[in-house]
Amino acid sequence: MTVASPGPSPAPTRQTPVVASVRDLKVHFRSKAGVVHAVDGVDFDIRDGETLGLVGETGCGKSVTARSFLRLVPMPPGIPVSGSILFRPRSRCSMCDGAGCADCEQTGRVGSVCPGCNGAGCPECDGSGSETLDLLSISERRLRDIRGNRIAMIFQDPGKALNPALSVRDQLGEVFYTHRSEELLDRAGLDGRTEPGALMRRRAAMQSRGLERMLLAVPPLRSKRNALLAAADTMVADALAETQIPNPRNVMDRYPHELSGGMKQRVMIAQALACNPDLLIADEPTTALDVTVQARIIELINQLKERHQTAVLYISHDLSLVKRVCDRTAVMYAGRIAEIGDSEQIFHHPEHPYTRGLLEAIPSTTRARGRLAAIEGTVPELIDPDPACRFAGRCPHAATACRETEPELHATQGGHAVACFLHHPPPGAPAGDVPSLERSGR
Amino acid sequence: MDISHTPAAITPRPDSAVRVRLRRFGELAGNVLSNPTTLAGLVVIVAMVGMALLAPWITEPNTPDPAQMPRDWGAIAEPPGTPGHPLGTTNTGGDVLYGIIWGARTSLRLSLIVVSVTVTVGIAVGSLAGFMGGRIDEILMRIVDVFLSIPELIFALAIAAVLGPSFRNIILALAVVFWVKYARIMRAQVIHVKQNEYVDAARVIGDSSWRIFRKDVLPNSITPVIVQATLDMGNIVLVGATLSFIGLAEAGLAEWGVLVSEGQAGISAGRWWASTFPGLMVFLWALAFNLVGDGLRDVLDPRTETSR
Repeated sequence: MTVASPGPSPAPTRQTPVVASVRDLKVHFRSKAGVVHAVDGVDFDIRDGETLGLVGETGCGKSVTARSFLRLVPMPPGIPVSGSILFRPRSRCSMCDGAGCADCEQTGRVGSVCPGCNGAGCPECDGSGSETLDLLSISERRLRDIRGNRIAMIFQDPGKALNPALSVRDQLGEVFYTHRSEELLDRAGLDGRTEPGALMRRRAAMQSRGLERMLLAVPPLRSKRNALLAAADTMVADALAETQIPNPRNVMDRYPHELSGGMKQRVMIAQALACNPDLLIADEPTTALDVTVQARIIELINQLKERHQTAVLYISHDLSLVKRVCDRTAVMYAGRIAEIGDSEQIFHHPEHPYTRGLLEAIPSTTRARGRLAAIEGTVPELIDPDPACRFAGRCPHAATACRETEPELHATQGGHAVACFLHHPPPGAPAGDVPSLERSGR
Repeated sequence: MDISHTPAAITPRPDSAVRVRLRRFGELAGNVLSNPTTLAGLVVIVAMVGMALLAPWITEPNTPDPAQMPRDWGAIAEPPGTPGHPLGTTNTGGDVLYGIIWGARTSLRLSLIVVSVTVTVGIAVGSLAGFMGGRIDEILMRIVDVFLSIPELIFALAIAAVLGPSFRNIILALAVVFWVKYARIMRAQVIHVKQNEYVDAARVIGDSSWRIFRKDVLPNSITPVIVQATLDMGNIVLVGATLSFIGLAEAGLAEWGVLVSEGQAGISAGRWWASTFPGLMVFLWALAFNLVGDGLRDVLDPRTETSR
């Protein structure tokens, strides 16, 4: 199975603005046996237009991390312990109207200026100068404006992520009615200001109730309402056409059970990208699909991402996929980030023993036959863990220091960051307590 | 695959959303009607309801109160076929045919009022408990438990004892007892449905909780309630007839249970008709709604077994 796309786009430069940063994110869960530290101090940045892969085995906290962006982790049983997710919404560049100019670093979009410091950089915007929202602490109302509009999400199983009782038209139209009611009125040629414009405006935002709806269903308002519905239909059809669904007008009238898995995922993607978000969270978007469909969907996400300059947080446990799709990769293990950096670096020069183990475990057709490599042992219990390297129990290099202190992420020579004492011994520890490559015979 | 897309030939068809729904409804209706037993049940229901609605035109309404059976003191305990009384009369000269026809009207009123009230209350309580969860759920469900422990027969007797025997009080008693069933079904459904990923997906596109409830949770959790309500349209008449049989309705009311009870004294003397015909009506009514309810369940909720 090969994919025709040219592979990951050239990695964005260091100056590329950061769309979202996760800072010391900790999400725990209350359970009968104790507190589960599902996500325990995760830090990373996502830059504008890049694809960041988040890999790790089941239960390592990658989905919880992703869901935290939109506050989808149910609380309770979840406990928000600490940390923040800083998001910098961006808007169309006024200098070039989205075409890409020097002002917006060819992205076509710019961040809004931080109201607190007017672009100078203050603690509130984390020194960046652009408007920064902490997704974990803003009001529910603010968050609703961001969901689906500035940050969108694609789920693992499209069969479960579409409401079986709604046609594709209603399902997709929802997004436009919620976030693009002004544009809908515009397209329908309606003036949203004068009476009965107020009625139409409420209809465009799906806020009409009982009597209003009846009023809109009879002349003289009926024709205006129909224009609005036609405008919504057009936007839905365009969104579907963009995901290369054949005959979108026909698909619109279908219900989810009448569509194949690949089609459903396309509908999900159309819904996610409908409002041209700054960040797309893709939570294992191809796991539930056939391999042949998988390749097409990934290609599609890539193309749309290039076209819309959307940053993508790509969650997967499929390493070969991530290697092909992502500009940068973060490897998660037991609720923490083990290693993060350019995909090139991570996959060709892995430095964390866990990453190495993972890569060795990928079966290959070129390597010699024999038993498949596996990482010894099992994932540790995440209930009230001791302060130690989470991987120490399975690590071939583990030494005393690894079992007593928790390694932090440190930059390495290779330009990426690793949380391992092999590369950054704890200061002041005796030599015998520190892991080394020589002694463990690798 | 190339990425150039043509935004399709787009012709505005503003009403097609309605058409899609109509098509879906047509498909569902077709599926329901393709089952012969369901169709039979539906035919019986239509006949019964038609009879109830047209009662004043089929028979001369009794004055002053058409809900009371007319008494023909000149024709007591006449067998079926008597001129003027095609199905015979009771021991007290009540016309059995009149009782059956106007009894359908009484039964329809009973089941419609009780079902609409209990379904509304049940859905409201169940949704609130299931959707909000936590303490609200806990409190509401304990209230439901209290109501669940009330046996409807005893409760109706208690109400009759306090408020006096009348058909209105039967309706009241049944409404008070029956809503808990819907509340429990609805709560279970809502809890099940709200765990679906499309609820998260709706949250992701920025929907409010109320909208999510209306658009994602309610339509996907309501079918078992609809099925149960259809079944109960029959069951409630059965229970209502029982209650009026033991004398909780006004004496002489044109109601099937009352009629059976009026006729039962004559059964040992061979006068079977006064009890048999209304009894048959109760049986047919309950059977018809059960057939249709099961048919609906097969179509709306294919996962569950037909057996209850």
